[in-house]
Amino acid sequence: MDPVERMIHVVLLAGIAVSVALMAAGLALGLLKGGGIPRGVVPLAELPRAAWGLSPAAFLSLGLIVLIATPFVRVAGSLIAFAREGDRRYVVLTGVVLAVMCVSVLLGRI
Amino acid sequence: MAVVIAILAVALIAGLFGSMLGVGGGVIMVPMLSLAFGVPIKTAIATSIVCVIATSSMAQTTFVSRGMTNIRLGMLLEVATSIGAVAGGVTAVLVDGRVLQYAFAVVLVYVVWQMNRGGGDVAPAETGVLEASYYDPAARREVRYGVRRTRLGFILSFGAGNVSGLLGVGGGAFKVPIMNLLMAVPLKATIATSNLMIGVTAATGAAIFYGRGYMDPYWAVPAALGILAGARIGPRLAMYLPARVLSIIFQVVLAGFAVMMVVQATGVRL
Repeated sequence: MDPVERMIHVVLLAGIAVSVALMAAGLALGLLKGGGIPRGVVPLAELPRAAWGLSPAAFLSLGLIVLIATPFVRVAGSLIAFAREGDRRYVVLTGVVLAVMCVSVLLGRI
Repeated sequence: MAVVIAILAVALIAGLFGSMLGVGGGVIMVPMLSLAFGVPIKTAIATSIVCVIATSSMAQTTFVSRGMTNIRLGMLLEVATSIGAVAGGVTAVLVDGRVLQYAFAVVLVYVVWQMNRGGGDVAPAETGVLEASYYDPAARREVRYGVRRTRLGFILSFGAGNVSGLLGVGGGAFKVPIMNLLMAVPLKATIATSNLMIGVTAATGAAIFYGRGYMDPYWAVPAALGILAGARIGPRLAMYLPARVLSIIFQVVLAGFAVMMVVQATGVRL
């Protein structure tokens, strides 16, 4: 495997592991605090405070967010790999895909 | 608690078969959640989107490291598919969801018929376009291939993305036939590449669904965990089973999807 690909591989595995750890923590907190698995994710703006307060919903939400972030990392990583290979066409194409993905994030905040 | 375990179990199977066939399991999860568990459709779709991302990211850790994913082909087609997926929100206002589901079912049946006629897998084409190769452990040889009909594949990918965005699926059920039957990509490379693409397509929808508050950890978290477990195993099956066998399983699963689409169209309002 190309060194950039190897790095992407490690980052993605780490991302999945972090996501699972956060979700497991959220489930454990839910069990400890009673009330089972919460319904509804925590909005982005409220996450830091909720996580600090050990809210199960916050950890579950963070776990989901990290998981959702993995395809973004995957595409950004490929863009870097293409840039290193000097493949301009695919830097542009991958850049367009990444841009569309980011536009969708903006659409979510409107 | 029983519900959580049921979701985990179904998601594990969906993740296993999904990652083995290049689909995201959304076509199983959405009808199951909405029909069997009475989950509101937008929440079911949001959960399914998370499942598709989980399938993709986990399976790619195997597929890319084994050199089966054609990243360039995936990115090229994703330009069309991701724009189509975002545009899907616009189409949602214009088209009756049930018409779409019936149409989806018809297309799936057509695809099953075409794959059946193919008899196993396409012969690799030496086109010089987006050439790649991978090692097939089942056939015990290196397979080198090129891509055909890139422009038509690109256009159809926009449509696939559009439908995926509407139905909350990753679109693998379309992407696999587009790449394998139309563009002459061997089935295993198609599965791996489709699996990469569905994650990207789903990610474009995930942020929107999260921001609008449709995600519910009660469903999404057990589903994601189940999928991650299943998608660890699926790619290995895809590698070690003969392409012929994968093709047959894919046809059976697609036929099942078609039935589920019809059932959901008659049973649920979008």
